[in-house]
Amino acid sequence: MSITLDQVTKHYGGAPVVNDVSLDIGDGEFFVLLGPSGSGKSTLLRAIAGLSGVDHGRISLHGRDVTHVAARKRGVGLVFQNYALFRHMTVADNIEFALRVRHMRARARRARREELLRLVALEGMDDRLPAQLSGGQQQRVAVARALAHKPEVLLLDEPFGALDAKIREELRRTIRQVQRELGITTVLVTHDQEEAFAMADRIGIMNQGRLLEVGAPHELYARPATRFVATFLGAANLFLARRTPDGIQVGGKTMGSAERAPGAPEHEVVAVVRPEEVELAAARESLGSRYLGNGVIDEITFTGALERLRVQLDEAVHAPLLAASDADARALQVTRTRQVNRGFEVQQGQTVAVGLRRVHVLPTPISSFTACAPSALRADVLSRQPLLAELVARMKTRVAVRIEPALGHTDAPCEAQGEFFGTTVIAAEGDNVERAEWLLRRGVKDLLVLPEAAAPPQRVLIHWMGEAARSATLAVSASVLRHVPAEAVYLGIFPGRSDSERHSYGMRELLDARSEAQAAHGLEMRTELHFGDVAQELTRRLAEAPAQMLIVGVTELKHFAQGFRALLDGGRWPVLIVQRGAP
Amino acid sequence: MSFRKPSVLPGFGLTLGFTTFFLSAIVLLPLAALVLSAASMHWSDFVRVVSSPRALGSYRLSFGASLLAATINVVFGFIIAWTLVRYEFPGRKIIDALIDMPFALPTAVSGIALTTVFAQNGWIGRYLEPLGVKVAYTWLGVTLALTLISMPFAVRAVQPALQEVQRDLEEAAETLGARRVYVLWRIILPTVLPALLTGFTLAFARAVGEYGSVIFIAGNLPMKTEITPLLIVIHLEEFDYQGAAALGVVMLAISFVILLAINLLQAWGRRRHVQAAH
Repeated sequence: MSITLDQVTKHYGGAPVVNDVSLDIGDGEFFVLLGPSGSGKSTLLRAIAGLSGVDHGRISLHGRDVTHVAARKRGVGLVFQNYALFRHMTVADNIEFALRVRHMRARARRARREELLRLVALEGMDDRLPAQLSGGQQQRVAVARALAHKPEVLLLDEPFGALDAKIREELRRTIRQVQRELGITTVLVTHDQEEAFAMADRIGIMNQGRLLEVGAPHELYARPATRFVATFLGAANLFLARRTPDGIQVGGKTMGSAERAPGAPEHEVVAVVRPEEVELAAARESLGSRYLGNGVIDEITFTGALERLRVQLDEAVHAPLLAASDADARALQVTRTRQVNRGFEVQQGQTVAVGLRRVHVLPTPISSFTACAPSALRADVLSRQPLLAELVARMKTRVAVRIEPALGHTDAPCEAQGEFFGTTVIAAEGDNVERAEWLLRRGVKDLLVLPEAAAPPQRVLIHWMGEAARSATLAVSASVLRHVPAEAVYLGIFPGRSDSERHSYGMRELLDARSEAQAAHGLEMRTELHFGDVAQELTRRLAEAPAQMLIVGVTELKHFAQGFRALLDGGRWPVLIVQRGAP
Repeated sequence: MSFRKPSVLPGFGLTLGFTTFFLSAIVLLPLAALVLSAASMHWSDFVRVVSSPRALGSYRLSFGASLLAATINVVFGFIIAWTLVRYEFPGRKIIDALIDMPFALPTAVSGIALTTVFAQNGWIGRYLEPLGVKVAYTWLGVTLALTLISMPFAVRAVQPALQEVQRDLEEAAETLGARRVYVLWRIILPTVLPALLTGFTLAFARAVGEYGSVIFIAGNLPMKTEITPLLIVIHLEEFDYQGAAALGVVMLAISFVILLAINLLQAWGRRRHVQAAH
């Protein structure tokens, strides 16, 4: 491996800007770190270059641990967005800078300089000053300068940001060419997904300090794992769908069975449909794909090669879209190529049949939230609780409201018929344990007990009681932590007192949990080993610092009230209960 | 060729008129009067006044101490400006404001203050005395006073230039393998050199013309610690206006030559850059 990052973490004033990032970049690979501004991608690049230190974790270059090695000894080449050329030096002096520092002889320096100038197609520009070059030429000089000392790794920090579209294209090609010719491992940081697609062997997508997903461009585009990646990489229609034994159902119609999971109970999922996977036709019969329903063309925008449409789905289509506003809850984004366009021309206001060619289901276990309360008023207040609102906004999902007048009354049946969907949320009040148990016994799988004043947590504590809940708890935790910039800590708690044998057994368990979280969910978490009573240890740990949240997995409800009273009553912190494996 | 070219900024004629008028009224006319006054002397009288041993001694002290003060200020002004620009620390704003104190203080006050501290029985002077270092009433005191009053010029000239030096440049140099000292010498100093020269010029010009603060600490011994401006005042007190004007003209000439030389140096530096490119 050329570059290995191991749990790299960096804080600025308490908040993590790079949060537990682990990554392997192979020899000669062109890796792109993609993310919105403020996602921590530049900070991560600077950490690799050695220009900013890390608070936790290790960085290795070609097997050499460089975590505490100064930038000048790391053997990396760095290219900045604003070129950072030495303005008082000629192009030749700029390129030879690294060689002069290394006391290379003049003749050897000149040979290397000429070689580099040829590489970036700037022969004969040796004696120019940076001010006499165009932006694109300056950046070429910067690339040549960064390569002069034959670094093992080339790092590019938004190198095209300050250039106009045409030059950008050209420089992209040059850099890709140089990279292939030298076979040098390269990391490019950008916020431009088109650029990432054009250049990358692999892309890593960052948001809020976390590395969410890593993969080949087409892989990430076709099969994103998170809502953020699905919507950040190109446009996407997100449906709340259902996974049934027959396949994926969108709006009550089975859309595909390719991604079915046999044996899994029917549950709510998020389905991604790319705009180009939506088919429009005059009538249902002429669709080549599965029919979703009818819609009315709302808006047509022509963008050259493509035609972008907005289709308002018919009221009869019961397929809720996850949209930013309620006004968009029925608006479907569609793109069509010229060729398709010629086959079936549409006009604004026209009614068309809508079909979906391909549906991708996100593996994210949290699909939506349901605010559950005894009265409409309290359910409404709960649905606007700040932490819930924040989660909903970050996850790009929605809150449904469910009224249960008998909530918590021991033997009363559910008022609203049917199962509970998504993550059920109740307000933390006095008798939380009773209400939580009431809901869990009536089929709620994920239950969030939310204190009125809870703010986004800075640390999420994870624990499960019983192995059957383990993988579900990890999945839910990963889902939450992808959207909340918090630190994840797994607490392994074992009954009884610590001794060396039990200690080493506990450590093994912890390592297993950590590697599963990393391998299956891309979740990096710290681990802590405790001995004693589970509820007591959890309560103690939660009481230690403010802004903490607990995600806890349970398999059975036999002693629920007893075990959870201390954790839930008083409503001092948000608790997310994941129930799996219960009969 | 016409001067009336259409320009983005209106009022070129008007502003040029004002510029010429103010320069003439405030700078050129008084200078011309000075030269004229000196010119009314007989040539031999002029030479006698300006080349008397006492006058020669005063030139040496005035210009020598001023050059020394300006040099000291460039070095320490750079360090002070660096600290203020680069570091965030409690009290930074206060120190930043303190820099301008010598601007605001009446120069006589600075002189008295310095004398209090550096006189033989002063706060610092009493400890320097046993070491054989005399500050007050020697050329050292003159230099000290000139350094104090011209310090803000050097700091304020360098500060904006340092702010302009992008961190990126240093970081780029660092990733290319350069040590801190090398970066300072090869990247930072060349970039701020024009500003350093400007700071030097301003500090020097201010020091040469200084009078108030120096006379308190200098002791004013003829030939030893007497600066030219003081000598001019002495001539004036004896109602020897022509003698004063003659010394003034000499000061003017020397200052002009030195400032011109620095300006030419700067222009040459700029040209060298451009030439290197062709």
